Amino acid sequence: MSRSISLRNWRDVLVLCLLLAGMHQIAGAGLIKAKAWLAPLLIEGAWHKTLLSGGAAVKPWPWADTWPVARLRAPAQEVDLLVLAGDSGNALAFGPGHTRASAPLGSTGLAVIGGHRDTHFAFLQQLQTGDVLQLQLPSGELRPYRVQASRVVDAGLETLPATGDSEQLLLVTCYPFDALRAGGPLRYTVSAVPEPFYTDTAEQRSSSAGIYAL
Amino acid sequence: MKYYNHICRQLARDAGHLGGVPLWLAFRCLPSLLLCALLLLLSTAPARAMLEEGSGEPDINGVESGQLLLLDQAGGSVTPALMHASKVHFDISGMIATASVEQSFRNDTDRALEGVYAFPLPDNAAVRYLEMVIGERRIVGKVREKAVAKKIYQAAKKAGKKASLVEQQRPNLFTNRIANIGPGEEITVRMEYVQEVSFDTGTFSLRFPMTIMPRYMPGEPVSRPGDPEDVEALMLAVNPYLGWAVPTDQVSDADAISPLLHPSPGSERTPLNPIEITAQLDMGMPLANVESPYHDIALARRAGVYDIRLASGVSEMDRDFVLSWRVVIGATPAAALFTQEVGGEHFGLLMVVPPTPDRAPAPVIPREIVFVVDTSGSMGGVSIEQARASVSRALQQLRPEDYFNIIEFNSVHRALYRQPMPATRHHVQGALDFVRKLHASGGTEMLSALQAALARPRRAADEFREQALLRQVIFITDGAVGNEAALFEEISARLGSSRLFTVGIGSAPNSWFMRKAAQAGRGTHTHIGDLNEVGRKMSELFDQLAHPASVNLSIDWPGLVEAWPQRVPDLYQGQPLLVAVNFGTASPRGEVMISGEINAQVWSVRLQLGSGADPATTTGHRGVASLWARHKIAGLLDEKLAGRDEAAVRADVLPVALQHQLLSPYTSFVAVEEVVSRPQGEALDSKPVLNTRPRGQRPQGYAYPRTATTGPAKAWFGGLLLFLGLMLRVLRQGEVDHVPVNQS
Repeated sequence: MSRSISLRNWRDVLVLCLLLAGMHQIAGAGLIKAKAWLAPLLIEGAWHKTLLSGGAAVKPWPWADTWPVARLRAPAQEVDLLVLAGDSGNALAFGPGHTRASAPLGSTGLAVIGGHRDTHFAFLQQLQTGDVLQLQLPSGELRPYRVQASRVVDAGLETLPATGDSEQLLLVTCYPFDALRAGGPLRYTVSAVPEPFYTDTAEQRSSSAGIYAL
Repeated sequence: MKYYNHICRQLARDAGHLGGVPLWLAFRCLPSLLLCALLLLLSTAPARAMLEEGSGEPDINGVESGQLLLLDQAGGSVTPALMHASKVHFDISGMIATASVEQSFRNDTDRALEGVYAFPLPDNAAVRYLEMVIGERRIVGKVREKAVAKKIYQAAKKAGKKASLVEQQRPNLFTNRIANIGPGEEITVRMEYVQEVSFDTGTFSLRFPMTIMPRYMPGEPVSRPGDPEDVEALMLAVNPYLGWAVPTDQVSDADAISPLLHPSPGSERTPLNPIEITAQLDMGMPLANVESPYHDIALARRAGVYDIRLASGVSEMDRDFVLSWRVVIGATPAAALFTQEVGGEHFGLLMVVPPTPDRAPAPVIPREIVFVVDTSGSMGGVSIEQARASVSRALQQLRPEDYFNIIEFNSVHRALYRQPMPATRHHVQGALDFVRKLHASGGTEMLSALQAALARPRRAADEFREQALLRQVIFITDGAVGNEAALFEEISARLGSSRLFTVGIGSAPNSWFMRKAAQAGRGTHTHIGDLNEVGRKMSELFDQLAHPASVNLSIDWPGLVEAWPQRVPDLYQGQPLLVAVNFGTASPRGEVMISGEINAQVWSVRLQLGSGADPATTTGHRGVASLWARHKIAGLLDEKLAGRDEAAVRADVLPVALQHQLLSPYTSFVAVEEVVSRPQGEALDSKPVLNTRPRGQRPQGYAYPRTATTGPAKAWFGGLLLFLGLMLRVLRQGEVDHVPVNQS
């Protein structure tokens, strides 16, 4: 009899431990989702102030180490995101981030925006070649882009090119989308080029219109 | 609920059949769990297979992976706006080389351009002359204080005059800005510098860098929110040097030292940045051999003077040019003094080769050797192979009584062993395996790796060793970092009794970093530019490590002189002593005595001054005065590293640089044409002149962001744990139910 009691206690403790640990893990996953969902509501206010002030950087909350630098819309996918400055882990938790080492958004060169595959940038897998993206800059200017290609790269073997002589937007997220493990080497990239019809430099561009070999 | 109870009862009965709960767990529960896990794994596998296809694609097209090419309608690649070509001629006489570097810039567009070219020069170069050549006209440049030179240049640029501004960003990295190059025009900027030839173990050599390895800029970008102007600058990339990097809190001039590279690698046949190299070598004695390890050269001899040029005429500027030569055995003097008189002042350059000690076997001092290997992204390609080969070769040269450890670093550092291990066959084998698996990726956080390597060993006096270990750190890197000064400070501050030896790797290493880090670490520096050199160079290094150095060197000058460097460093085997000296207005007379100690044996060398009988002390060596000034500036700047106030250092450097017309961190060369060549109102575009990617280096960029959360893993794992917990609970209930059933 005493054996069965001790066994039962042992098992009770184990069950409790397992349940608690499981809850903790799921709560952790929930927190990540909650942060990703809640933060944009706060950042929205900061972006509004940025637009009103004509482009000043405004921190969404006083101790934030990032601030919104653009608004990214994918009309067909009904996605509306605020892009933050920097692609460090703490910025990406709140929204997609613009890689500082890449070209500034809306200027000549390759501008890179990274986002988490399971939160903000999960929609990348639905983007098709030819889809329209819109980028709103701090000045309020709206820039349309068109998706040109998507490909999978190995970040362990390649780095992002430091040079680029034409304007291009590169959206980066981790790949595969449903992988469990974080920190894998693969990245899913979507490249988009400015829609020439809407830019005011359309004429200049058509003279140097070219074919992109990726 | 009924159904649930039913399942519980079934499970319990099942457990009863199998003979108890533990057996049930082992034979029923565990296998089904394993099956579930296997299924989950399989579901993610197809995705993995798919991506391998995807990443293979670019190679099929023959295009460098991850790189964007803009093709024009005719199918040819778009040419950069400014074409650049260089020409360099070395005039080598004895220990002094005078080099003339010509950079030509041609504007192929139909609008006026400003060119920005960041280029390397040898780190001990004393740049003393600049002229701008426009057609037949020559405009001689002047050395001015940096801010003044900038102002003069900006004014000329605004007014539409042609101008050139050459600034020193690092002792081995300069920028040249050329304003108002009209459409179709070509402007040539000619510079002249003097440097001393390096001499090591009987070999003279000269190194001319040609491209800049993209450097890692540690730290955070300096612009911060709350300062609208700064953020605007960050966003609009108001970047006067057109570099790829933004200034950070640790590298405030990152934009000036990060020139853009051509997207495609260079080629010898149609160079992107062609250079013509010629040299005239006059040692005043017959040579045993002349060698250029990385370029094919053609050699002609007339009357004891050797003419050297590139065999193919021009070459791509994608690797360092190295020329080395030996004189016939016995012709090397043990001591020589080269002098020059400029403006009534007498200058001298003294070279002394310490005698090699008698063949008496040196006492074997137990050593602790720490290898620090750079595995950052810039080492990608041939560099990491050279680094791996170097460490493997060095490991095989360890003696069984030595202790060793390996630290690899990129964004983080990682040591092979927690503490240094004896170099037994077992440990060496483990280390060789570790080295074979090293690969290059990530940043170059050198500071923390250096701190780890120079940290005092935690172990106190050991009962097995009565003698203190001789600590030698071998630092294997390409030096592609932007915060050199901070690293030098760290090395001098933490060195203690350790010694630091640098091994420069790759086709375009940061030579200034190698030499200066070794100087701060009181060791030596070596360059390895090719896999074939690894064996020989590492053996030479280990020779130096194993042999005692010349210490307590002192020089007795006749009378009062100003000699630089002021403190003579210890010399390793094969290294000469080089001191630049200013004798003042009196012509040098008397006798110099140089003495030192090797292996507790005192040695001394005497040299007669001003007699004129000895050819080694003849006067009229061009460039000695510039070299003295360069040594003095370097010495003064070292005082800044040692903690002297920057303003005081600057006040000391400025007069020397201005008097001797030398480039320095505080002075720049500026040349302005007085003719206005760009009409007012016409726009001026700034274009960078692209450098060629260092040969054998993988395309360099920046890392992809990390874009996965641990969310899915947490959710999955949490689900699994809950499932297990519920299973156990179910089992317990089953047992409770089971007991009364049996009783009834």
